[in-house]
Amino acid sequence: MLTYIIRRLLQGVVVLLAVSLICFVIFRYMGDPVLTLAGRYATQEQIQEVRKSLGLDQPTYVQYVKFLWNAAHGNFGKSYVSRVPALGLILERFPATFELATCAILISLVFGVGFGVLVALRPYAWHSRAIMAGSLGGISMPTFLTGILLIMIFAVYVGILPPFGRGKTVEVGFWRTGLLTVDGIRHLILPAITLSTYQLAVLLRLTRAGMREVMAEEYIKTAWAKGLSPMTVIVKHALRNVLIPVVTMAGLQFGELIAFAIVTETIFQWPGMGNLLLTSIYETDQPVIVTYIMMAAVIIISINILVDIFYAVLNPKIRYD
Amino acid sequence: MMKKLAWMAAIALMMVALVAAGPAAAKSLVLAVDDSPRMMNPHGDDSDAGLSYMANFFDGLLQRKGEAGKLTPALAVKWEHPDALSWKFYLRKGVKFHNDNPFTAADVKFSFERLGNPEVSEFLNTGKQIASIDVIDDYTVVFKTKEPIPWFANNMHQVFIMDKESTEARDPGDVMIKPIGTGAYKLEEWVKGSYVRLTANEDYWEGAPPIKNVEIRPITEASTRFAALASGKVEIVTGIPVELYEPVLKNPKLEVVSRPARRSIFLALGNKTGSPMADIRVRKAMYMAINEDEIIEKIMRGHAAPAAQIPDVPTVGYNPDLTRLPYDPAMAKKLLAEAGYPDGFTVTLTGPNDRYVQDEKICEAVAKYLAKIGIKVNLDVKPKSIFFPEVAEGTLEFYLIGWFDGTYDMGRTYFKLAHSRDADQGFGGLNGTNYSNAALDKLLESTAKIIDPDKRSQTLQRLNKMAMEDLIVWIPLHYQEDLYAIQKGKGIKFDPRPDRWMVFKEIDR
Repeated sequence: MLTYIIRRLLQGVVVLLAVSLICFVIFRYMGDPVLTLAGRYATQEQIQEVRKSLGLDQPTYVQYVKFLWNAAHGNFGKSYVSRVPALGLILERFPATFELATCAILISLVFGVGFGVLVALRPYAWHSRAIMAGSLGGISMPTFLTGILLIMIFAVYVGILPPFGRGKTVEVGFWRTGLLTVDGIRHLILPAITLSTYQLAVLLRLTRAGMREVMAEEYIKTAWAKGLSPMTVIVKHALRNVLIPVVTMAGLQFGELIAFAIVTETIFQWPGMGNLLLTSIYETDQPVIVTYIMMAAVIIISINILVDIFYAVLNPKIRYD
Repeated sequence: MMKKLAWMAAIALMMVALVAAGPAAAKSLVLAVDDSPRMMNPHGDDSDAGLSYMANFFDGLLQRKGEAGKLTPALAVKWEHPDALSWKFYLRKGVKFHNDNPFTAADVKFSFERLGNPEVSEFLNTGKQIASIDVIDDYTVVFKTKEPIPWFANNMHQVFIMDKESTEARDPGDVMIKPIGTGAYKLEEWVKGSYVRLTANEDYWEGAPPIKNVEIRPITEASTRFAALASGKVEIVTGIPVELYEPVLKNPKLEVVSRPARRSIFLALGNKTGSPMADIRVRKAMYMAINEDEIIEKIMRGHAAPAAQIPDVPTVGYNPDLTRLPYDPAMAKKLLAEAGYPDGFTVTLTGPNDRYVQDEKICEAVAKYLAKIGIKVNLDVKPKSIFFPEVAEGTLEFYLIGWFDGTYDMGRTYFKLAHSRDADQGFGGLNGTNYSNAALDKLLESTAKIIDPDKRSQTLQRLNKMAMEDLIVWIPLHYQEDLYAIQKGKGIKFDPRPDRWMVFKEIDR
């Protein structure tokens, strides 16, 4: 197990290096930040001065090596736009995104698995058909549409939930949380539902497929024959086996939700990292973009490793050698 | 029964008395704007969106007021321009920064010297133009510029004065997030991506502002901004896109406030020797082929005004005699034939797709109009982050751009956009087609040395006429219009500024 984890970590480092290199090459062609930074009326000479002061006059490979060296020391550079450390800017936004993604993944797990089981047990009942049709909608409806519809219905016409923002927040140390106030939770509902829709539908379909397969297995028939209660048969014998791919999927999705909740965050003006990323892309704020993508890669890689470990816990048959 | 009524009356009276006795509720305002602040360093962002925030925390030596953006005193009470290179400012006495430090000439010198530092400033150009800053006494400053800069004072409303002592003493990172100015408002709290809260500066030199608490909510997505207003969460919204104008108008609770914008949208044409566009008849033909009225009606949905030149009315150099060439595709075709292009030619039209109102759609329309007279247009529309560097490189053929000059002086704009590219002198930095005309350059250079404002204005008007009529340096399209929406019946007195800044001391309710 330990060798396995170490091997995965080493692979992770290689992936990070590759990601950083690709980022660097791509953002060379994404526009020139120097022009804005020098100001609208700067002369060519002044533009060159700014370029020099940012070290952007050096060849790409020199810039890249410098970036790696600094990153290895925990320094990801200063944002071109707000001129403060890029990592700080991103971490400041992390709690908002983390809380949103956690709620979204919990919603999709609870309802996805719950409905999935329900549908698998009675596939031809009318409620099952309705749920399946809904899940198709969940998969095919683009996030921005879901978000805007929810805002229009619940915030504008019915007017029971707020349309944007995080509401009242409380600072607990460095962590600014919206989960401790009623207002904060009210603000969380719509974006969390929007963000969870797609994942919910995927988990639902995965659970349903798995359950239908497992329910037909011999050992389930045996369990029924033994006279076990339906609860024990469904949850303990069937669902536990189905959960392995579901948990893997949810884990992977969780990483993605944290890293790329961009659309939802933009629609609800949620002050998270995705929102920051989008603004940074508009403004060609390369240090923030590169740091963000590196961080997203770290999150996804670590979650993958955690999922692998969790796998072994769920299914003792799995061994990593 | 009577007894019950008497009791109720007594209670009602008590309640009235209680309400009346309590302090009058402080006026406050919640609004949603389309841009987040990047930082709280007044020199680090020269965009109007950024300056709009800063104008509340800081003051310039001068300020602009009213519809025409009239230059009026702020931290300086008056100014003089004794010779071509010198500018003398007499400062206001008794002004205090938010941290109670007194405002003196040392702060002015410090702030202007800071402009030249690329680490903290986007006003490099202004900073580097200054040769020396002499502090005569605590309340008199003389600036000497390296070259004659006729519009030097016109820029004083956007260069904000910082407190020397606290700016030097604080950590540079802290300076980026906490503004200490002399402005009408102090920063209470800034939660990035969420809100900026301001409280009134009761000791403001112009008198305490009427609205005591302001909460600014930056919401970048237009439909969410609209939802915030429609659901009553905010009271003013800036940046209503033309496609949302109808829904706002239909909503009985909302009201639209519009203001002609200073920015004009126009097409820049190259004149490389040997290219079709070097011929004035071709330029004229392209101008006459474009149906600007239709663009305004169909694409801008009525929210734009036709332009015959680049500067707007209050700008020095605006020429009231200029008119648009008529829309006349038949004549345009004839002109093309005369110039030797009866079958037209091919040209690439470049433009941004995320910068101006409906920019991409306007480019498409222009391509369509030109196709009608036989000119084949290859559209090359791209994000502004890629488009503007191309303009700066000067390799384009034909492009759409918008402009307005913060100093209200056309001379500066022309040096930047129309003068032949000259890296040594810093001219033509955004002359994206490498347009070049010796006569224009000469006349433009001559205006820089004229001190008398009236004479200068006349020369600039002449220059403007030459550029728009004789040379057709650009094809002007229209002036944009800024659209805002407010909650109706809340007594909000809001008269938008022409520069789009939200200056809260000018708002009341």
